[in-house]
Amino acid sequence: MNDELKALVDDIGRRSFGARVGRHGLPERFDSDLWQVLETSGLTRLTTEQGADPADAAVVLGGLARYAAAVPVAETDVLATWLAGQADLSVPADGPLTVAIADVDPSGDRVTGTARDVPWPDAGPVVLAARSADATFVAVLPPGSTTSTHNLAGEPRGDVPFDLSSTDVVRLSPGVADELVRRGAWARCVQIVGAFDAAARLTAAHIGERVQFGRPLATFQAVQHSMANLLGEVETSRAATNLATNAAVDHGFDSPEADYAVTAAKVAVGRAVAPVTTIAHQLHGAIGVTLEHQLWLATMRARSWADEFGSTGWHATRLGRMALAAEDPWTVVVGPPPRP
Amino acid sequence: MSEFAALRADDAELAGLRSAVRAFLAADREAFGWTPAVDCWLSSWDTDFSTRLAEAGFIGLTIPTEYGGRAPADGTGYLHRYVVTEELLAHGAPVGAHWIADRQVAPGLLAYGTEEQRRRLLPRIAAGQLYSAIGMSEHGAGSDLAAVQSRATRTDDGWLLNGTKVWTSGAHLAHQIVVLARTSPLDPEHRHAGFSQFVVPTDLPGITISPIVLMNGEHHFNEVQFDDVPLTDGDVLGEIGAGWHQVTSELGFERSGPERILSTATMLFEVVKALGRGDVDDRTAAAVGDLVGRMIALRQMSVSVARALTGRGERSDGGWLGEDANTRAAMVKDLGTRFEQDSVELAADLIDGVDGPEGARLRAMLTVARAHSPLFTLRGGTNEVLRGIVARGARTT
Repeated sequence: MNDELKALVDDIGRRSFGARVGRHGLPERFDSDLWQVLETSGLTRLTTEQGADPADAAVVLGGLARYAAAVPVAETDVLATWLAGQADLSVPADGPLTVAIADVDPSGDRVTGTARDVPWPDAGPVVLAARSADATFVAVLPPGSTTSTHNLAGEPRGDVPFDLSSTDVVRLSPGVADELVRRGAWARCVQIVGAFDAAARLTAAHIGERVQFGRPLATFQAVQHSMANLLGEVETSRAATNLATNAAVDHGFDSPEADYAVTAAKVAVGRAVAPVTTIAHQLHGAIGVTLEHQLWLATMRARSWADEFGSTGWHATRLGRMALAAEDPWTVVVGPPPRP
Repeated sequence: MSEFAALRADDAELAGLRSAVRAFLAADREAFGWTPAVDCWLSSWDTDFSTRLAEAGFIGLTIPTEYGGRAPADGTGYLHRYVVTEELLAHGAPVGAHWIADRQVAPGLLAYGTEEQRRRLLPRIAAGQLYSAIGMSEHGAGSDLAAVQSRATRTDDGWLLNGTKVWTSGAHLAHQIVVLARTSPLDPEHRHAGFSQFVVPTDLPGITISPIVLMNGEHHFNEVQFDDVPLTDGDVLGEIGAGWHQVTSELGFERSGPERILSTATMLFEVVKALGRGDVDDRTAAAVGDLVGRMIALRQMSVSVARALTGRGERSDGGWLGEDANTRAAMVKDLGTRFEQDSVELAADLIDGVDGPEGARLRAMLTVARAHSPLFTLRGGTNEVLRGIVARGARTT
């Protein structure tokens, strides 16, 4: 299943990338052709409709990220549809969805606030998670945002204000919002590793082709060592993310195991973003910083995604507190002991 | 079985082993009063501890029972050994005496030794009572190991060994040194041909062992001179002429093991524990989290290599390094030892926040760590060589 799925996603991603060469821009436009193909193949709601596990979802999210796919599959499946399901709210069974998270201080019978940097806010209905100290309020909002901006990779981001009556929201436990953030952080880790793979592939190809001083860059030892450093950061990120995926497969996203492993992965992957993007750009030379070149599609996605669903520093603080609270911090490095 | 647990080398069986080692270490430290040390696998030589550790069943986990060891019949001994090793390092136990014999010499004997050598040496290794050094580097042969000039020449009833080895850790305390020497003259077209390995007892005539003192005054390294040292055919390890293949083919285990990540771990955990007893601001907590996050990720890579080398690797993950465990092992050593080095100064910043006798003890550990730190990225092959292996081994299509 996994290998076939991987081949399918790679094929779809490759073709969509080929079809959009020269058409990526600031902002990115939602790729409706790709969405149609993914939806027809049953890949847009893999975990919520198809009963697939997070390992399969990781294949799809990582595979699409390798090709800078401009479709909110992570938002639609592992975030919005899941969240709506928790609240028993109905959302469309096809087409893209997105998710918004905001902190609120509910007063009286209104739940009011603004969700910032909502991904793809115009692509489809927005499932809102408004967090207070003791509750998660969930509602489905129509598409649209009051500000229309985009991240460094051109992906649309916008602010979504809301002013809802308490009868228009479903009140759930605060743990629902925690799990939502964890799911988002996990998805971004998987996607960042996909973007890293793209950056590594482009860089390896470039240093193999580019000739200076009469020989390919890849024959220079200094370049080889930089490439080895880049690959080391990518593989470390992959190892941490793989652990997080398996924590979710074995124990679910609502488990302490997933909390631990996703937090650790978001730290490891987040800290790898600077070296991977820096080395990839350095080895590409100035050509890699242009809008015309495809490198930024990978590096700027990785850069932007690392800040979402809890910054690297926020996750590092959480992981640090876990280690500081432990009787022996080594047990935090090894991870939670098997359940009886 | 839980893949999440297996990926962390912490499934039910390994977790049980882990608890047993922890319980042994706590009780043993209580009873015998040893002090946890950074870089304990190089510097903490305690023969009584090695014997006790063996009696408790934690040495010889890759040695079959017929040779006095405790290897499980299902071939999972390396993972068992991995778990024991990381517990010993995380707790700074004095493991130096038996370390090289158990880690490197036992697998070499099992792969290439004669039946007589195995029966003679392996039971003593499994008992934690045979101490071995490895004689590889020479004055003119560091990263370029093929420049080794020590040579063994044929005599009527054996061999005569001549040459000089350097950086030979623990040779002054060891029973034997496993020496790489030329048995045929250099062929410039085939520089790696003509090497052989010998197991050389240190009490033979013609051996002079002199200290090479570390810059902080510690003595672990030696220069070992061999002047017409008489060896028998029974001292030859493996095949004459196959020495290069023998020393390079099993490097994966050595390169990717926990000692390439955890050399400073006992100090790091002591600092975190000390800080955790008081109030910690978010900035400090984040610094701890960054340290722990990096350690977790590196450990995951290291465990995945150990699992791959024992045939228990996870399904293909589409990584850039493909499936070659040796390339991955070189990567783990490069990344892990640089982490060890970085961790020393990160620990120094954190130790600033610890006062009293605990702070003094941590600063003493830090002083040792700073002197040993340059070694982390040198020993067992420099990181420059390792990065070359990684770059060449990576798929670039």
